[in-house]
Amino acid sequence: MTATPVAAGRPGTGPGPAIGGRAGFADVISSEWMKIRTVRSTFWTLVALFAGSAVISLLITLAAANSYAKDLAEGKPDSADIVLAGLAFVGQIAAYVLGVMTISAEYSTGGIRTTLTAMPRRVEILVAKAILLAVIVFVIGLVTAFVCFYLGNIPLHAKHVGVNLSYPGATRAIFGSALYLAGLSVFGLALGFLLRHTAGAITIGLALIFIIGNLFTLIPGSVGHWLYKVMPGNAGGQVTSFGETGRNPDKAFAPWTGFTVFLIEVVVLLIVGAILFERRDA
Amino acid sequence: MIQAVGLTKRYGDKLAVDHADFVVEAGTVTGFLGPNGAGKSTTMRMILGLDHPSDGGVTVDGKPYRSLPVPLREVGALLDAKSVHGGRTAYNHLACLAKSNGIPLRRVDEVIGLVGLEQVAKKRSKNFSLGMGQRLGIAAALLGDPGTLLFDEPVNGLDPEGILWVRNLMKSLAAQGRTVFVSSHLMSEMALTADRVIVIGRGQIKADTTMREFIGQNATTHVRVRSPHIGKLRELMAGKGWRTEALPDDDGAVEVFDVASEAVGDLAGQNGLWLHELAVVQPSLEEAFMSMTADSVEYHAGVPGMEPGQILGQPGLGSDQPAWQGQGGGPAQPAQPGQSGQPGRPDSGEARR
Repeated sequence: MTATPVAAGRPGTGPGPAIGGRAGFADVISSEWMKIRTVRSTFWTLVALFAGSAVISLLITLAAANSYAKDLAEGKPDSADIVLAGLAFVGQIAAYVLGVMTISAEYSTGGIRTTLTAMPRRVEILVAKAILLAVIVFVIGLVTAFVCFYLGNIPLHAKHVGVNLSYPGATRAIFGSALYLAGLSVFGLALGFLLRHTAGAITIGLALIFIIGNLFTLIPGSVGHWLYKVMPGNAGGQVTSFGETGRNPDKAFAPWTGFTVFLIEVVVLLIVGAILFERRDA
Repeated sequence: MIQAVGLTKRYGDKLAVDHADFVVEAGTVTGFLGPNGAGKSTTMRMILGLDHPSDGGVTVDGKPYRSLPVPLREVGALLDAKSVHGGRTAYNHLACLAKSNGIPLRRVDEVIGLVGLEQVAKKRSKNFSLGMGQRLGIAAALLGDPGTLLFDEPVNGLDPEGILWVRNLMKSLAAQGRTVFVSSHLMSEMALTADRVIVIGRGQIKADTTMREFIGQNATTHVRVRSPHIGKLRELMAGKGWRTEALPDDDGAVEVFDVASEAVGDLAGQNGLWLHELAVVQPSLEEAFMSMTADSVEYHAGVPGMEPGQILGQPGLGSDQPAWQGQGGGPAQPAQPGQSGQPGRPDSGEARR
């Protein structure tokens, strides 16, 4: 070690781009990508997403294969949604939680102040986080969806009622599941930016997706019906179901319509998050 | 150079920072002093674009922080040692910051070496002691080799070796022509480190001057005299109209105010009185600071019958560092980079928390 505390001599002569350059969006992306990679919670949340979804899908089809085969034999309408059931439980929660944590962990540790001192152009940080999350969760979600599809089909094939990719809406459901999970993670990110608090954002978001959405069925008439339809979980989840029309065609949006509504909701929430992020003191 | 013009931050009815105007010049260490709650941290956060001013503004080298093209290349800041995700290693934390500003990763290794964290660079920072956290924060501030540095309470949690290292670091950064702005509540530390001082109380800038002038204007110089004939000497001095005050530990010493030491010595000599001690007592930064901010302390401790100056006038009290760290008052000592530029090993002498 040298005796002088600072090796680089005069200011502006050290490493880095010459003054006059500009730290751009590519730098923000590469920094945020490293931030996501270098905390363990990301890894474990994605492991939970993959393994949890696959195991639950297998267990559910194991348990349900008999009655599923019986229903089909009796000519009752049924869909093959059960093969992706694991994604609908564990996958959704994991994707959402990952989205929340991507920003709320920075608030809970105080790291946000370091982040914003290094990069004060806040919207770039928000956009970089959203893009990276969406891509990561889409890729992991797609792999998981295929694994769930083939794993969940094993018990069904044993009863000769397995489905393959030519089943109506099967590929749409698989790709749609990955897209829905990616959207859900960005939904979590937006709520994380709005609430800046891990537990709060997780509680509110999961309540919105799993509980409040279904509570609206209790409101009679067209208002309740409409509210049920547009709730993010109900609208976005349509694209993850098998069959041409998605589940509950009389109550819910058609698959891609629902997903578009969901995407608009996510983007609106993200914009509100960006405005508050920009305006608030860190 | 940092320039604040009418910088104001309002939280509801409360003015945290009240139309502050000041300039922090390059090439000097400028101390930022104020009681707790005076607005130091709020001001620093506004300089860094973290908090939005309610009114007025502040620029670094003429630009608002948010429009700096490569922020870390121009400003390095140590705000709070805990502003770090504890699950990330020290190296990764610094690498993430470096990437956001396009700084090559070899610089990360360099700053880790500069602050002496090599041995724990691959460890997750949640297990770091407060002192190691401060070193990591200082490494982050140095990452872009910036022309302006802000340190908020940089010596908190550092061991004596670390304190000396930070002091020399700040002086050498200023000597290289950089702007160095340091907030602290450790008066004696500031007296040793800073050339200039900006004092804030209840959000208002109370002084913006050199350290020497600040002490000179806000604390009185006095003469301490000790004599076996102290009673007689006091009578003579009282006859001259000089104000004297016996010291609490009465061993025949008194303080004489507003008079030169020569006059005291001459008076004793003319009357054949022996002196055992005759000294000019330099005022300390503590005294200057307390006399200036006595009315602007946000939360008084409420010790009955005690002047704030009395509490802080005693070494070791009123500042949370040992008395031997410096008697808080003398002229700033020159840096000794050759002897003390090396930080202590982070795992020696600092308690892990």
